[in-house]
Amino acid sequence: MLEAILLGVVAFIAQSEYALGTSLLSRPIVTGFLTGLVLGDVQSGVTMGAYLELAFIGSFSVGASIPPDVVTGGVLGTAFAITAGAGEETALLLGLPIATLTLILKNIYLGIFIPLLSHKADQYAEQGNANGVARMHLISGFGLSLMLALIVTFSFSVGSNTVKALLEQIPEFIKHGLTVATGIIPALGFAMLAKLIINNKVAPYFFLGFVIMAYLKIPVTGVAIFGAIIAVIMVSLTKPQPVVQSQGELNEQDDDF
Amino acid sequence: MNKMMTSKNKNQLITKQDLRRVFWRSFQMEFSWNYERQMNLAYVYAMIPVLKKLYTKKEDLAKALKRHLVFFNTTPHIVTLLLGITTAMEEKNATEKDFDDTSIDTIKTSLMGPIAGIGDSFFWGTLRLIATGIGTSLAINGNALGPILFILIFNIPHILFRYILTGIGYKLGTGFLDKIQQSGMMQTLTYGASIIGLMVVGAMTASMIEIEIPILITTGDSQTSVQNIINDIMPCLLPLTTFGIVFWLLKKQAKPLTIIAGMAIFGILCSYFGIL
Repeated sequence: MLEAILLGVVAFIAQSEYALGTSLLSRPIVTGFLTGLVLGDVQSGVTMGAYLELAFIGSFSVGASIPPDVVTGGVLGTAFAITAGAGEETALLLGLPIATLTLILKNIYLGIFIPLLSHKADQYAEQGNANGVARMHLISGFGLSLMLALIVTFSFSVGSNTVKALLEQIPEFIKHGLTVATGIIPALGFAMLAKLIINNKVAPYFFLGFVIMAYLKIPVTGVAIFGAIIAVIMVSLTKPQPVVQSQGELNEQDDDF
Repeated sequence: MNKMMTSKNKNQLITKQDLRRVFWRSFQMEFSWNYERQMNLAYVYAMIPVLKKLYTKKEDLAKALKRHLVFFNTTPHIVTLLLGITTAMEEKNATEKDFDDTSIDTIKTSLMGPIAGIGDSFFWGTLRLIATGIGTSLAINGNALGPILFILIFNIPHILFRYILTGIGYKLGTGFLDKIQQSGMMQTLTYGASIIGLMVVGAMTASMIEIEIPILITTGDSQTSVQNIINDIMPCLLPLTTFGIVFWLLKKQAKPLTIIAGMAIFGILCSYFGIL
């Protein structure tokens, strides 16, 4: 039980990467080492961590996509393999599905729970309560670290087979449905952002950016450079007064979120 | 951070300590990352010491807090560049009556993409791979130096960049804005920046919203998916439709929370019937 709790602490520290400058503490090469320390076999831990690191090399978050969870995958994969006296392939075999399954819980947390707190923060902001807003941020972050720590502690104490069987109970359509939902939730963020800066005069540029991306699939930076060039051309062609007029109307709509 | 204080301004309220606090708070930029508005909470969190200092009236603080709660996403390691710029802009906004505060939104929106483009390729594409290469080559033989070097190789340059860019951003913000305001170009800049910003939002709508219909249609011998037909009409038509519906719902004063709940139910229902 002590080991299970300590492994939870390892997961907590690993997830704290995101409070410590996205400093790569959650990578399997690091968590493998720490898991090895907890279980008294540093050498195996480091080796398995290295193998898992290579397996998860493509799994890091850029933009809106969240990869399989390397924290639980790394810690539990290594821990189960060490306690079973097995090799790196066992760590991989257990680590990958665990990481994928944790992603489901994480998606609910990142897609529903934090947005809920985020809207609570909107209300605090409305009242000029900066501490309330800060609290929502901290609860969001520490909550996820705690959740991953609990998953690790719980899973390690009940054992790998039980965990697998339990997770297989969730119907496939619900898992898939939540994946679908997380695919479209960014639309809300974009719509809120667009609502903030859009007015009749600049609305066509939204579609221009969209069409460039849809047909040409260039990086967003490329679109921004196009945008900069067009902005320079348009500014030198027109005298833009209507921008200010439309703000009043927009601001009053913005009050509700 | 001594050099950043070179521009003398009678309205200067932001001190070295304030910028240092922004720098430390910027470490949490991905701590509260979420699908809806991504780094919104963390950005506000980093700005709070500055905002509290600049806005003593409750309603001004409320406006500033709301301003920074919008969608935001960039490479977390160098977000301090933008934090520095917005700190300078907030300072201007607090001290000068005729400052157009929407310019803060547009500057953020138009710069986050380019910064992410450069930052992602450097930090994720280059530096992380160098660290992984050196780290794993040692760790694979069980050498504990592997993970330690891995962390150091990535984070020493990372923290240096993060620190230096805080000051550069602030300086850029003040110097840049002084010039623009003197020539009365703020409106023009806001207009230009909103063009870039909207194009970026449009591009992200096409690239970041994921929705595809996997149903297959068999006609005679050939089989084609509904998604292929849609792609022939227009690629990313479904993300655009999704965006359009959400935008329309927001205009109809629908609560964002209701929209999220609706999306979850929609996803599960479509999945149950095998539509999505």
